[in-house]
Amino acid sequence: MSELGRLSLLLGFACSLFAVGSIAWGLRTGLSGPLRGGRRAVWAVCGLTVLAVILLERALLARDMSYRYVAEHTSKDLPLHYAFTSLWAGQEGSLLLWLLILSAYGSAFLFAYRKRLDPFYDAVAMVIAAVMVFFTGLLSFVSSPFRILATPPPDGMGLNPLLQDPGMMIHPPILYTGYVGFVVPFAFAMAVLLLNRSGTRWIEEVRRWTLFCWGFLGVGILLGARWAYIELGWGGYWGWDPVENASLMPWLVGTGFLHSVMIEQRRGMLKTWNITLIALTFLLSMFGTFLTRSGVLTSVHSFAESNIGPWFLGFILIAATAATALILYRKALLESENRMDAIVSREGSFLFNNVLFVALTFATFLGTTFPVLSEAVTGTKISVSAPFFNRVNVPIALTLLLLTGAGPVLSWKRVTASVLKRNFVLPAFLGVIAVLVALPFGATGVYPLVCIFGAAFVITTIVMGFARGIQARKSAETGALPGQVVSLVQKNKRRYGGYIVHAGMVVIFLGVLGSSVFQKEAHGPLRNGESLKLGPYALTLRGVTDHQRQNASLTTAIVDVQRDGKFVATEHPSKAFYSKSQQPMTEVALHTTPMEDLYLILGGVNEDGSASIQAYINPLVSFVWVGGLIMVFGTLIALSDRMRLRREEKPVP
Amino acid sequence: MRPLRAPLAFLVLISALLAGSAPLLAKEKDPAQEITSQLICPCSCGEVVSGCICETGMSMKAAVENGIKAGKSKQEIIGALVSQYGEVIRGAPKPEGFNLIVWIAPFAATLLGFAIAWLVLRRMVRRRSELATAAAGAGSPAARGTMPFPAVRGLEEDLDALRARAEKELRQMKQGREA
Repeated sequence: MSELGRLSLLLGFACSLFAVGSIAWGLRTGLSGPLRGGRRAVWAVCGLTVLAVILLERALLARDMSYRYVAEHTSKDLPLHYAFTSLWAGQEGSLLLWLLILSAYGSAFLFAYRKRLDPFYDAVAMVIAAVMVFFTGLLSFVSSPFRILATPPPDGMGLNPLLQDPGMMIHPPILYTGYVGFVVPFAFAMAVLLLNRSGTRWIEEVRRWTLFCWGFLGVGILLGARWAYIELGWGGYWGWDPVENASLMPWLVGTGFLHSVMIEQRRGMLKTWNITLIALTFLLSMFGTFLTRSGVLTSVHSFAESNIGPWFLGFILIAATAATALILYRKALLESENRMDAIVSREGSFLFNNVLFVALTFATFLGTTFPVLSEAVTGTKISVSAPFFNRVNVPIALTLLLLTGAGPVLSWKRVTASVLKRNFVLPAFLGVIAVLVALPFGATGVYPLVCIFGAAFVITTIVMGFARGIQARKSAETGALPGQVVSLVQKNKRRYGGYIVHAGMVVIFLGVLGSSVFQKEAHGPLRNGESLKLGPYALTLRGVTDHQRQNASLTTAIVDVQRDGKFVATEHPSKAFYSKSQQPMTEVALHTTPMEDLYLILGGVNEDGSASIQAYINPLVSFVWVGGLIMVFGTLIALSDRMRLRREEKPVP
Repeated sequence: MRPLRAPLAFLVLISALLAGSAPLLAKEKDPAQEITSQLICPCSCGEVVSGCICETGMSMKAAVENGIKAGKSKQEIIGALVSQYGEVIRGAPKPEGFNLIVWIAPFAATLLGFAIAWLVLRRMVRRRSELATAAAGAGSPAARGTMPFPAVRGLEEDLDALRARAEKELRQMKQGREA
C-alpha cells in the first residue's frame, strides 16, 4: 500500500510538470490540444492527491505502525477521531494536506471557468501547476509520508497532547484553506503579467477569490486563538508566537489588498501596487508554512521541526524573483489610467490604510525574524515577544482603527469642507463622550482611550452610513426598520458587508482592549477550605480528585466560585498526564459570562496536599469571538454579491 | 477648505501616538505581574512568565515576588534574573546597540511609507490638474469637480476613464507617427 501512495505522489509530480510544460507550449503555439492536456493533468493531480490522502488515512485509522508517520504521530489508545486528524499533526501529513487543498483549488478553478475559452485561464492554471510541482516534488523526494519502518514498533509514540483538542480538528484545515487559497490570486496576477493582459475584469475575479480565502484565514486565526486560550493555559489567546505571526502577516497584506483593489476597480489606479500586494500575500503565506515547518524559530509549534527549510526558502526566493522580474518587465502595462483629484479623498485614505497594513506586517516580520538576525550579528540569544509587539504593533493598529472610521466617510475623488463637517462632527463628538464615560470605569492611559474613542467613532460612522442609505431610499420604500436594513444591504452587498466586517473588527478591538489592559490575576497554594480572592470573586478549594480518561489520567481540583459573596458555580481545573507523553497538560476551567471570563488553572498539587491555583479575570474576551462571528457574517454578505453576478452572467450563450 | 489641515492633523495625531509609546499601556497591574509580564520563560515552553505555570516560570515568579518584598527596584530584579538566565528572558530586547534596529525600523518604515504615499499622491494630483488645464485650454467646457448632482458623479467618473483612454491613444498615435 505504501508503494501505491508513493507512486501516486510521484505521478502527481509528473502530472504537474506535464501541466506546466504542456500549457506553456499551448500558449506559445496557440494550439488548443496542449492546453486541454494541461488542464486534464491538473485534474489528475487532484485525483492522485486524494488517493494519497485516502491511503495515508487508512494507515492512520488502522494504526499501521509499519508507516513511520503513523508510528510517530498516533498510538493504539488514541481515540479514532484524533487518529483521523493526526493527518495534519506532523510535517509530512501537513504538507500532504497543503497539496490536497492546493489541488482542490486548482480543480475548483478549472471547474469555475470551464466555459471560458480564453487562454488566460490556462495561464492561471499553469501557475497553479507550477506551485504543485514544488509540493508534489517535496512530498515525493524530500519529505514522504509513506516512509516504511524496517521493524515496526509494537505501539506508536502517540499524538502530541496539545493537539488532542476539538479545535485542532478543524483549525488546520480552515487555516490552510485560507493560506493555500492565496495561490489563486497570485496565479491570476502572474498570468496577467505573462500574457500582458490589461483590463479590470480579472481584478474583480481576483477580489472574490481573495475575499474567500481571506475569510477562511481570518476564521482559522481566530480558531487558533481560541485553541490557545483553552488548551495552552496561560490566560491569553494571542501570544505573538512566531506561528501566530506567520498566519497574521498574509491576512494583514490581504486586507490591505482588499481595500486598494477597490481603487483599481473604480479609478484604474495603483495597478503595480495591487499586483505587488497579491504577490506579497502569497509569498507570506508560503513563508508562514516555512516558519511553521522549518523549525528556524522555536515556538509552541516546534514539534513540526525538520529539514525542509532550505527547500521552502529556495522556492520562496524563486517565486519572489519571478514575480518581481515580471512586474518590472511589464511596467508599461501597469501604468495608471487615472489621475488623483485630491489627497484627502477615499482613494487617499485607502493608500494610507495600505501603508499601515504593510507597516504592521513589516513590524511583525521584523520582530519575528529578528532573534535569528540578532544572534547571528551579536552572538547573544534574545527574545522578541509579546512585550515588544504590544509596544510596536499596538500604536500602528490603533492608527489603523482611526483610519477605519475616517476612510468610508470620505467621498471618492475629493472631499469638500461641508462633507467633512457633516461626516466627522457627530462621530468625533460621540467618541469624546465614550471616552468621558469610560474614564470613571478606570480606563486611563493614551492607548485605551484612543481605542475607545476610535471604536465609538467607527461605530457611529457605520450607523450613519446605514442611516443615510435608508434615508436615501425612503421615498421609494416604506416599512419596518429591520426590513429596510435588509433591503439596503441587498442593494449593495459589498459596501454594507464591508461595513459589517468593520463593525466586527471594532468589537474585536474592544475585546482585546478589555482582556489585555484590564486583566486581573491572582495565584497561590490553597489547602482544602481555603479561599483566594480575585476582584469580586472568591475561589474556595473543596478538594482534589484523581481519575482516568481514555488515554490520560487526570488530577482535578474542585473549586467553588463565589461572586460578591454569592455562589455561582463549581469549577474543575485539571492537569492531565497522557500515557505517551511525559509532560503534564493543563485543562483550563472557564467560567464565561458575556462581560468577563473567569479562567482557572491548576498549577499542580504540592507535597503538603495544597493545590496551586492560578486565576485570571479576563474582561470582554467574548467580544473577540463575537467580533469574529460578525466579521464572518459581513464577509459572507460581501461574497454573496458574487453569486448574483454569476446568475446574471449565465443566460449569455 | 484649507486642503492641508486635515491630513496634517492626522499626522500630528499619529506622531503623538507613536511618541507616547511604552509606559502608557501599563495599567494598575500589581507590581509583580508588571515585571513578570515583561519576561519570557527560558525553558522550552517559551511563554511570558506571568502566564507560565512550568517549574522555571514559577521559580522566576517567586524570585520577582521576593525581590519586591526585599524592596528592590524593577531594574534590579530584572537585572538579577538576566544575569542568571541570560538576555533571552527579556520579552523585548534592550533598545541598545544592534537591537536598536528592531525598535526604530517599524516606526521609521511607517513614517517613510506615509511620506512616500503623500509624495506619490501629490504628484498624481498635480499631474491631474495639469491635464485639466490642458484640456480647458483646448476648449473643454467641463468645469471639473463641480457637478452638483450625485447622479452625475458616476457619469463624471466614466468621462474620466474615457478621457484618460483618449489621451493614451492620442499619445500612442503620436508615438506611432514619430516612429
